[in-house]
Amino acid sequence: MTAVVVLLGLVVAVLTLLVVGMLRSHAEILKRLHQLGAGLDPDGPSQPASPAPTPVTSREDFQVMPQVPAPPDREEFGGAADLVGVSPGGNEALSVRITGVEHDTIVAFLSSGCITCQKFWDAFAKPRKLKLPSGTRLVIVTKGVDGESPSSVASLAPGGFPTVMTTQAFTDYDVPGSPYFVYVHGPSGRVRGEGTGPDWDQVSSLLSQATVDAGLVTSLDGQQVAKPDADAEREARIDRELYAAGVAPGDASLYSVEASGPVDHEHDHDHDHDHDHDHDHDHDDHDDHDPPA
Amino acid sequence: MKLQSHGIETDLPPGWEGRIGLRTTPSADTRSIGDASEVPHPIVHLANFALPEQRGDFGSGAVDLMGADDVLVVLFEYGPECANTALFQRQGIPANLTPSMFSSSALQRTLPGQAGCQIFFTENGRAFCSYTVLGRQSSARRVLPQANDTLSRTRIAPR
Repeated sequence: MTAVVVLLGLVVAVLTLLVVGMLRSHAEILKRLHQLGAGLDPDGPSQPASPAPTPVTSREDFQVMPQVPAPPDREEFGGAADLVGVSPGGNEALSVRITGVEHDTIVAFLSSGCITCQKFWDAFAKPRKLKLPSGTRLVIVTKGVDGESPSSVASLAPGGFPTVMTTQAFTDYDVPGSPYFVYVHGPSGRVRGEGTGPDWDQVSSLLSQATVDAGLVTSLDGQQVAKPDADAEREARIDRELYAAGVAPGDASLYSVEASGPVDHEHDHDHDHDHDHDHDHDHDDHDDHDPPA
Repeated sequence: MKLQSHGIETDLPPGWEGRIGLRTTPSADTRSIGDASEVPHPIVHLANFALPEQRGDFGSGAVDLMGADDVLVVLFEYGPECANTALFQRQGIPANLTPSMFSSSALQRTLPGQAGCQIFFTENGRAFCSYTVLGRQSSARRVLPQANDTLSRTRIAPR
């Protein structure tokens, strides 16, 4: 009998140690979660105790190759605009439609002087090796005669692609420098991607990625499942009943918990409140509440 | 979208683009036909599709790429000695083209389904040929309002 009692005592002692260990582990987990900002207390601190790493968003945080311009200091793509200017020889006025057309356009902003641009001029002289996406037009843009030598541009401009000398386009597209490339979706006139690189292969890869991403978004839009008829009818019925009851769209009662109907209070008001909350109801009136179901 | 050069001005409607340049002077390096001593005159190419860079005076190279709803308008200037002569006695840019004016036999280069219209005229003492090509003749009623709109927005100043 004594042996049994001693054995039971040992078992209880071991179990006690296990429980204490689990409680400590649980407390440690809660402490870590609290430091990360997770918790159920809506009134608690929402900010993490330790500072989050700063996202790389400023222009100074980017490191680019010295040959290519830094990205523009804005979060969204720039605008797109049709091009109007003169030909490299300067004796032809030309306009190139970029927006509101069926085809997409890659606008290549180059200059006759920059070393990196020379790689692109050379690449554009061999159109078949460019592997442009089907249905995509390449248009080369340099600054106008106020910023470029027409004869220099004429000696570099390839015969197979339009070359427009226009300083205005650099402003319209918010181009940070040359070389720079903007991919414009023709039907919508929206910029799908922009950027630069040291050679055509890298730029082509960048623009292809932008095209695929945009295509993916389009395909996902097409795969959205329509709401079942029963759900739509139920929503319409609820809207009609609310409207008949005087609750119009935008009514404050739709967005306020306090303005909703009576709430059953079935909790015991005698317990100690160890948390702060702003209930302004009168605890003495609980007899008036509906009985719990 | 306004375009202006060589005394010719146009305000292109949405979807149209254009070129106003000088005819390439024939030389050993160019394939242009004609006399090497000729004085180059302006040529205007206006289109509701993407114009290729390699184009002939009357649109060869561009007409090959035309779709059913595409239109190409060419204004080709001749020498001042031609102005107001019998061929160029019509005054003003023709901006009221109708489907009956178009024929496949009027094409400089015959392509299946296409149709053309050629009108000579004088404007402000300058002699021109207006040459319009439709990508598909059966689309004339639908696309000609665009071409007429574009032509009505075009001005030719005196030299």
